[in-house]
Amino acid sequence: MRLAELQAAFQSAVLSGAGKDPTVLASLAKPTARERATGFGVYVKAYRLRAADYLEEDFPALKSLLGDKRFDELVVDYVAANPSRSRNARYFSARLPDFMQGFEKWRGEAQAQGVAQLERALTDAFDAAEGEACALEALAAYAPQDWPRLVFAFHPSLRLLCVPAGTVELYEALSSEGAAPRPKPRDGEEAAAVWRSGFDPAYRALGTDEFLALNEALAGKSFGAICQLVAFQEDEASAPERLAQFLVNWFSDGLVVALGEGDGEEGRAAP
Amino acid sequence: MEPLPHLGYGLGLRPAYYEEILSTHPPVDWFEIISENYMIPGGRPLAMLERFRADYPIVMHGVSMSIASVDPLDMDYLSALKRLVDRIEPAWVSDHLAWTGVHGVNLHDLLPIPLTREALDHVVDRISRVQDYLGRRILIENASTYVSFAQSEMTEWEFLGEMARRADCLLLLDVNNVFVSSFNHGFSAEDYIDAVPVEHVTQLHMAGHTDKGSYRIDTHDQPVCEPVWKLYERARKRFGRVAAMIERDDNFPPFSELLAELQRMRDIDPAICDAAEQNAA
Repeated sequence: MRLAELQAAFQSAVLSGAGKDPTVLASLAKPTARERATGFGVYVKAYRLRAADYLEEDFPALKSLLGDKRFDELVVDYVAANPSRSRNARYFSARLPDFMQGFEKWRGEAQAQGVAQLERALTDAFDAAEGEACALEALAAYAPQDWPRLVFAFHPSLRLLCVPAGTVELYEALSSEGAAPRPKPRDGEEAAAVWRSGFDPAYRALGTDEFLALNEALAGKSFGAICQLVAFQEDEASAPERLAQFLVNWFSDGLVVALGEGDGEEGRAAP
Repeated sequence: MEPLPHLGYGLGLRPAYYEEILSTHPPVDWFEIISENYMIPGGRPLAMLERFRADYPIVMHGVSMSIASVDPLDMDYLSALKRLVDRIEPAWVSDHLAWTGVHGVNLHDLLPIPLTREALDHVVDRISRVQDYLGRRILIENASTYVSFAQSEMTEWEFLGEMARRADCLLLLDVNNVFVSSFNHGFSAEDYIDAVPVEHVTQLHMAGHTDKGSYRIDTHDQPVCEPVWKLYERARKRFGRVAAMIERDDNFPPFSELLAELQRMRDIDPAICDAAEQNAA
């Protein structure tokens, strides 16, 4: 058998869990069928054990929510449907949230999907690209009349999530040391921001208007344009004060890495 | 290409020991990293690595170059590896005589190859191309294996020797892997050590494994066992004062236990090397 055929057969049998694959076992040198199956079985079992380790490491709260038995079922389903396509095992679990949404057995598990999305975003934030946070004082370089033209650049780790309502509270309960009570499922969605603060992943829930504002700011809209949008969609009278508070929060959370004056409604802050 | 430095005695750099290494600055000559763990955009792992690099020589040890795969060389992977090499300036770069997947899939394992002329030609060509791309000789390590193939045309040590000569690469000889594979396949570990070409061996690995009765698995979660220490003495006698290290990847003991294993090497090596050098003279 040529090397290419052998590798294809070997991999196919490992992926499908066929520890007694006749083509592979016939290619092996051990004298007895039992010895050949034992040796090849090491590779078949190790593939699943390693995959389970990666998922367990990246989704501890999800495992706590589902319990060992159901989490193991999820691992089996995911591993069967998602052979790794990355050289780095760190990315093996990246598709789990999408997989849960697309796989009938897990599609109805809204809470579990939300927790999976949040945990995956935290893992991605951990080793996302670097960015040096701007201090709030950077705003002082601009006169108040110039603020409407300000545009912002954000830390490369920042991700905005739309998850089932109560996901952040549920994640905190699942991650707490003691047996914190789990909140009951609620209808609707909530928004959350996930980023890295220093070396540690961070997150917090966002109100509807802050999510809207941050989403627009991430898209490069100027502060003035964001103010107008929030005033239009939310409570016009209190919009300027709330926007100012959001801005302070973004700086104090370390989300903003650059700011500058845009040409118009849209622009990009110079890094 | 410049000759590689003599590094001494090293340990695998693992997050479980980051704080202790930073706070105690232990007597370890160098650290080996798993390359892929730092082939990431940013964050704590890279920042910590740069702190360790300021104090210690680093060598880079990869697990997914997939040098024996029939897939085309993964230039994205090699490019990321080269960026890390440029950033860390390691003493050397190594990976395994293994494949990790085909058709774009990665099984995250060091998979075995048939020891055939076809596989040898294939691996030699790929090592040469990787060395050209990286602009340096790389070290290739013998992996532990749990199956061997009926169509193999040579022993693993013959394959390694021929590969090193033809590709002009260096060898990372894992003494524990020789022991594990010799048990699993019924060959002589001593014959293996005695046949590997001395001039290519640049580093030795030592590690623990798990005895499953009818076979052994390279788990790196145990102390080095006595039969492997005995084989190490044979390897040290043959390969002289090359760099050596302890690998530990699970069931992490107090750091002092790893230092004690390193100290055992430091204690036994001078007499072995002196005697071997006198005999050679």
